[in-house]
Amino acid sequence: MAHVPTANGTAMTGATSLVKSLEASGVDVMFGIPGGAILPAYDPIYDSTIRHILVRHEQGAGHAATGYAQVTGRAGVCIATSGPGATNLVTPLADAAMDSVPLVAITGQVPSLAIGTDAFQEADIRGITMPFTKHNFLVTNPDEIPRVIAEAFHIATSGRPGPVLVDIAKDALQKQTSYDWPTSINLAGYKPQTKPNQGAINDAAALIAQSAKPIFYVGGGVIKANATRELLELVQLLGAPVVTTLMARGAFPDSHPLHLGMPGMHGTVAAVTGLQKADLLITLGARFDDRVTGKLSTFAPNAKVIHADIDPAEIGKNRYADVAVIGDLRETIEALIPALTATLAKGRADISPWLQSVNKLKATYPLGYDTPADGALSPQLVIERLGKICGPDTIFAAGVGQHQMWASQFISYEKPRTWLNSGGAGTMGYAVPAAMGAKVGAPDTTVWAIDGDGCFQMTNQELVTCALNNIPIKVAIINNESLGMVRQWQTLFYDSRYSNTSLDSKRVPNFPMLAEAMGCIGLSCENPADVDATIEKAMSINDQPVVVDFRVHRDAMVWPMVAAGTSNDEIMIARATAPDWDSQEL
Amino acid sequence: MAIHKLEVLVENEPGVLARIAGLFARRTYNIDSLVVGPTENSKISKMIIEVSVEGHSLEQVIAQLDKLINVIRIEEILEGAISNTKHDTQPDYQN
Repeated sequence: MAHVPTANGTAMTGATSLVKSLEASGVDVMFGIPGGAILPAYDPIYDSTIRHILVRHEQGAGHAATGYAQVTGRAGVCIATSGPGATNLVTPLADAAMDSVPLVAITGQVPSLAIGTDAFQEADIRGITMPFTKHNFLVTNPDEIPRVIAEAFHIATSGRPGPVLVDIAKDALQKQTSYDWPTSINLAGYKPQTKPNQGAINDAAALIAQSAKPIFYVGGGVIKANATRELLELVQLLGAPVVTTLMARGAFPDSHPLHLGMPGMHGTVAAVTGLQKADLLITLGARFDDRVTGKLSTFAPNAKVIHADIDPAEIGKNRYADVAVIGDLRETIEALIPALTATLAKGRADISPWLQSVNKLKATYPLGYDTPADGALSPQLVIERLGKICGPDTIFAAGVGQHQMWASQFISYEKPRTWLNSGGAGTMGYAVPAAMGAKVGAPDTTVWAIDGDGCFQMTNQELVTCALNNIPIKVAIINNESLGMVRQWQTLFYDSRYSNTSLDSKRVPNFPMLAEAMGCIGLSCENPADVDATIEKAMSINDQPVVVDFRVHRDAMVWPMVAAGTSNDEIMIARATAPDWDSQEL
Repeated sequence: MAIHKLEVLVENEPGVLARIAGLFARRTYNIDSLVVGPTENSKISKMIIEVSVEGHSLEQVIAQLDKLINVIRIEEILEGAISNTKHDTQPDYQN
């Protein structure tokens, strides 16, 4: 149903004005739960062209909106009532802030005269969410609703994307107002710089041409800026190696020979060491996160840094930038390609010895895993087969922990927006609702949630939402009956004292029965020989959500690993096993 | 530890002081003193913030402040100087 614009000056309630404003913002779907303070808005929602998906927990609404936004590139929208409804959105808002996800959250607030009186279901959600929203609003005057909604979407989706919360007092929803959609947005304190400075572009090109050991350090900003095609062109032009961070998996094809893989705590030896030994980091939409740099003072000690980002506050935050390029990454790369072409034509450093070195590392230290002697199922095998059988068009949404790292390592990502995860916040429980939102945003694409047995038990109630709303996602539970990543740290750093990490999830709950109870198909697999057939069976079911309980052995660990707080030079490829540096020349 | 004096123009809206104070607290910047007053424009307030920069560059404090949507302009007041150092809302930190 096409949206019919409402004429300015039309009389209506604040609630209707809110819904008309959301329609005017291009919203086609939102995830939420009604309650007292937001109830006036739910009456016009009943008549709206916007599809409202009734979730089972507000956290599910928030992560679903995130999954939708990550897949479509448009703002995700969630809606909740005051007090506990709003506080249940806190985790997804924090999550979206850390991963720069465009999100608009609408919350009802108690009537304006009751604000500050500890009224029933009152919570100062604007105060609570100040630290991790890009901006937030409290609306008590219904006349402001269209302008605030327009500004909320503008702020959420422009510049460095992020979550915006709009808290609206109940009486502002109930009162009569005149609908007045703004013709332009003018925020005195918010004008993101998108066009890069040409001087900075030229400086960057000059540094690149002089570099004998350059490396592309690619972050999630490349995907947000829809700059992956431009990135491929830039990389081909220079012929330098590439690493993609956890948030950037899919920004550059894994199959490309110049791709060294993911850097960081569980990155490949080639990617981690490539950054360490480089003489120039060409940093594109990345933020020198501690999980990438390891001990910051020893990170890439001999490298100069080009740092391109839309957010000026990222420049120099963790690492000094020799050349800073502030602007939209697509515009930046589009400007850099001709500048670099011209500079390289005048002469360039020979990077072929560098390429030989990193390629040797890549060949010597591929990702791998041991298969247990007793024939038990390996979690990495399950994830590797999922990637192979489902192919590069499938969207994967991971929870947080060992399964997340394996899903990043053992699936080959070829396209942007096919890999969703909670990178910055590390939110257990992200996968199922994010996969739900992703499937709503891309209904014709297969969407798998790869979840842990711990994560799954935090948010699996949204499978009910999926079953009832024709959102047939697939869930692979990597069931090692443990909080696996915490257990791995206990193995390595706490003398194998497994304090409170055993979940007994092979006994309780019975995941296939739980899935069936929620209107899904429940499958189970414990034998390596049955993995392919089980995945194929799940792939053949397209009219219902499917949950597969992959019962894997619990002692598998994520390797390589740079222990927290140590230098990237101390990367381990297995327990107490460092790469054989003596045979490497870098 | 150097103390810098910043003149910050902000939109005169409820919660702006909380946004600024909260930013300083959560990013572990030290406020030495803070004065808020009106300007000729009733929609804009002026804050004079004295900040002790230790372990953070002044540029980083300003860049984070600048990300607040309600912050319009930041200027460093140099005592005894003829003109102040202007920091636009979107500074180009060319190093």
